[in-house]
Amino acid sequence: MKAFKLHNPTDLESALALLDTPEARSGATRVLAGGQDLLTEMKEHLAEPDALVNLKHIPGLDQVHAGADGSLEIGALCTLAALEEHAEVAQRLPALAQAAGVVASAQIRSQATLGGNLNQRPRCWYFRSEHAPCLKKGGTECFSYGGMSKYNAILGGGPSYIVHPSDLAPALVALGASAEIVSAKGSRTVALEKYFTLPSESDVKRETVLQPGEILRRVLVPAPAANTRSSYTKFREKGSFDFALASVALALVLEGGTIRSSRVVLGGVAPIPWRSKAAEAALEGGQPSRALFEKAAAASVRGAEALAHNGYKVPLAKGLVIRALEELCA
Amino acid sequence: MANLQQPGKKKIKVTKNVDGHPVEEEIEVDDTGGPSWGPRAAHTLLNTELPRVDGPVKVTGRAVYSQDVRLPGMLYARVLVSPFPVATVELDLDAARKSPGVGAVIDLEVKGVKWLGQPVAAVAADTPERADDALRALAPKWKPGKWAVTREQALAANAPQVGRKGNLGKESSKGERAETEAAMQGAAAVVEAVYSVPVQHHVCLETHGVTVDFSGGDSAKVYASTQATFSIPGDAARELGLKASAVEGIVQYMGGGFGSKFGLGFEGQLACQLSKQAGKPVHLLLTRPVEFTSGGNRSGVHVSMKGAIRADGTLVALVSEAERFGGIGEAARHPQPYIYEFEKSFASSVSVLTHTDSSRAMRAPGHPQASFAMESLIDELCAKAGLDPLEVRKKNLKHEAYQRQLTRVAQEIGWNAHPNKTAPGKPEGRWCTGIGFGVSVWGGGGHPECEVEVRIERDGSVSSAVGSQDLGTGVRTYVASIVAEELGLPLGGVEARIGSSRLGQANGSGGSTTTGSLAPAVKSAAWNARTKFAEHLAQALGSDPAQIRFAAGSVEDQKSGRKLSFAQACAMLPQEGLTAKGEWVAELAGNGIQGAQAAKVRVDPLTGKVEVLKLVCVQNCGLPINRLTLRSQIAGGMVQALSYGLLEERVIDPDLGLALNANLEDYKVAGPLEIGEIVALIDDEDTREQAIGVAEATVIPGHSAIANAVFNACGARVRDMPLTPDKVLAALGRV
Repeated sequence: MKAFKLHNPTDLESALALLDTPEARSGATRVLAGGQDLLTEMKEHLAEPDALVNLKHIPGLDQVHAGADGSLEIGALCTLAALEEHAEVAQRLPALAQAAGVVASAQIRSQATLGGNLNQRPRCWYFRSEHAPCLKKGGTECFSYGGMSKYNAILGGGPSYIVHPSDLAPALVALGASAEIVSAKGSRTVALEKYFTLPSESDVKRETVLQPGEILRRVLVPAPAANTRSSYTKFREKGSFDFALASVALALVLEGGTIRSSRVVLGGVAPIPWRSKAAEAALEGGQPSRALFEKAAAASVRGAEALAHNGYKVPLAKGLVIRALEELCA
Repeated sequence: MANLQQPGKKKIKVTKNVDGHPVEEEIEVDDTGGPSWGPRAAHTLLNTELPRVDGPVKVTGRAVYSQDVRLPGMLYARVLVSPFPVATVELDLDAARKSPGVGAVIDLEVKGVKWLGQPVAAVAADTPERADDALRALAPKWKPGKWAVTREQALAANAPQVGRKGNLGKESSKGERAETEAAMQGAAAVVEAVYSVPVQHHVCLETHGVTVDFSGGDSAKVYASTQATFSIPGDAARELGLKASAVEGIVQYMGGGFGSKFGLGFEGQLACQLSKQAGKPVHLLLTRPVEFTSGGNRSGVHVSMKGAIRADGTLVALVSEAERFGGIGEAARHPQPYIYEFEKSFASSVSVLTHTDSSRAMRAPGHPQASFAMESLIDELCAKAGLDPLEVRKKNLKHEAYQRQLTRVAQEIGWNAHPNKTAPGKPEGRWCTGIGFGVSVWGGGGHPECEVEVRIERDGSVSSAVGSQDLGTGVRTYVASIVAEELGLPLGGVEARIGSSRLGQANGSGGSTTTGSLAPAVKSAAWNARTKFAEHLAQALGSDPAQIRFAAGSVEDQKSGRKLSFAQACAMLPQEGLTAKGEWVAELAGNGIQGAQAAKVRVDPLTGKVEVLKLVCVQNCGLPINRLTLRSQIAGGMVQALSYGLLEERVIDPDLGLALNANLEDYKVAGPLEIGEIVALIDDEDTREQAIGVAEATVIPGHSAIANAVFNACGARVRDMPLTPDKVLAALGRV
């Protein structure tokens, strides 16, 4: 990899100051957390920053605070392993604990962080190949469109057809979480649903609203309403160390045998965690049954457009929604 | 002049291994008595479960593989390979030479790249990172050309030419086509289908490469990750400008080969050239992406089959036309009809050349591909004719071993109680469960090539030495255990010395010929050592050699009843101890093995998820040299078949020419969570007192049985490996 300067600030203000320079704003300085994605990008020359600002020496960024009202504030540097094992997370937010537990491998989960997971770059093999100058790298073409598209998007694609690789993102969107972003200029809070951006609606080279100079500081998860159940179901070809071909995060309020409200978010099928309001509408007010689940499943992929090799993701995502609903409502 | 034979000699057929492919030849051997393995029940170490002697150092990381060798002043090498199948390239050699820490740079002066992954240059520097930087400093300017990397591209009308004579190799065929087609008239069922297996990879845990210990001077050591220790000295000496006798090939431990590691290879040649240029030791083990594009592959196949079956289950006729994909080289053969007997058959086969690396032998070259097509077709015929696939298999397999083996695997997998016998289950419910079968065949015989030396010292130490590599099959353990048993010692009483071209000659480990070739030579050396020892003791004790018994760590003169400890007996040897040699003995080796496997899977009909619940194998192999290693080897073959059945496939973008999954993230290999219950059973009804290699047979039918089980579960017939969920969903008509 290209040689780089490593900064190890010990407080957030210093870190933000290091990012508040013209070089940093141009993207030449990057933020380092667990390094599980960034370092592999650097090794493969997909990213060649001049400097890294290492956040791991800043105390407190990995903390999880459980609010008395049932809400949780999760520091962006919290590792996936810590998240998976956190008692309150497991109790209040099963979808998040389950999502954290199915990322990559145990070794990676012990290093990888919440912030890194949400901000990781796509796994598309064209994006990851140095010799394929794709749209995401400033080229003029998305090679998966018309190429080997087995793992690409069926929803929300165009002009790029990547899928967002994060497992935590669909779970957190289903749980109604928001992201607290800080920079030298202050802080802002964005609903996680709005944190991820479609290639058609903003810079195709980015996947989130996070700008150079900014740090994702923590994720805020509101207290789930009474009688909420949540789950994250991931479908992968391998039982470990594999990204989702499709996944579904569910958060349902089930009262007296009726689904009062729901959130249905698909992963692995779109450039962003794909919230399906049509599926939610299909479920709401209904009583759990195979017929209801099939209706919601059909609604969840409404508008899907398959590329040459990913048509299977339509029945797969539908099947997964049905299986996930069967389990969660059981 | 016919049958002119020396007295005391006889002619026999043996199987030799040429780069992992078995080749038969006739040789003359002694027709006299000598050692025998003895009755099956009398073994003290053989035919028992012995943990490998090198197990502890391997699992604790203390075993030093070629990858692990570190030498003073050593440079680390990297190889630049073409990312495009056809291209020209310009390199900035000066920049690479000036890059920090660089000790050597080699330009292979490739005028035009002819295959994806072709090496074009190599560098060596004082750290791996600096070698990476130097490789980058070459700043290759690629000009991609026009290529053919897929079947469609290679067979297109205006296809870019791959071989000198076009894109097709030499077509071979056997049988009469018209006669075979005519024989299908009146059959109960005729099935026509195309089956395909993609190009797959060996995925050796240790990548290809060597560490060359040479700093100028007149000798060198080459630590090689190879299946053929004795191929190293000559090849390396040529590159280093030394005499072959001045180069030692060392293969103490090696991390997998599966047929892909014969000879020094381009990586070994480059390592020697870099070492010679720098005057320093060089470590060159391929990086994983280069291993994928340039370290070998298993050829793919696209085979059109038409078969017919009678209502009584007799296989009537088969027409098979295979296209094989072995890159720029000839692909592995595609033997059809595979194992099963058809009354009439016609089979043709041709290699289709592409601009990718040449395929190499891979564990049972050609057989797993042939198995997939044949076992799938048989099940399709059974389903169409409404017949029981187990009974049809038994009816059309000649060898008696298959009858008992199929009965046993059916029993183990639960076939009798299984509902879907003559028709598949429906794609309904949470999980659909299915069972499938497959069979295997292999030779596994040996030939005379190994020379083993056993030494017994006056202090009681015993060593057994031969240059052979241990590919992972347990060689090191049986080089000791055969001798220990002969001398009545525990396994720890004999030290095995292997893995050096300075020791006695041994064959390359390919075609499952190692055990059949080496074990008899070890037995012969052990027998000679015991005989000599007995003669010496008889003389010293005034006894008869036939009366000297070695057992349980003691030596007994049955004539006098005098009993000595083994160490006491050794102390009676002359100062120089005792040395005995052994070579191959025809009677101690056999040839020809059979196996049957069954798979039980469950399929989620909504998502296409396939889970392998259980795999069962019953395998014969003559004398089980070590039952634990044997079962482990059977299990290893089954797991490998499961992995390429469910997951493995090389992906190249046809237009960009890029290898898209040349890494272990995207080239998916099964992990513990994919592997269900594995039941590896030894067929003890094979009572041949002969050593036979078993490695290849075990890998042949597992994926075929899984594919048949998927169909049996829910009616999803996937004819294109691997059986990924997209294909299962498509086969269910859901895509």
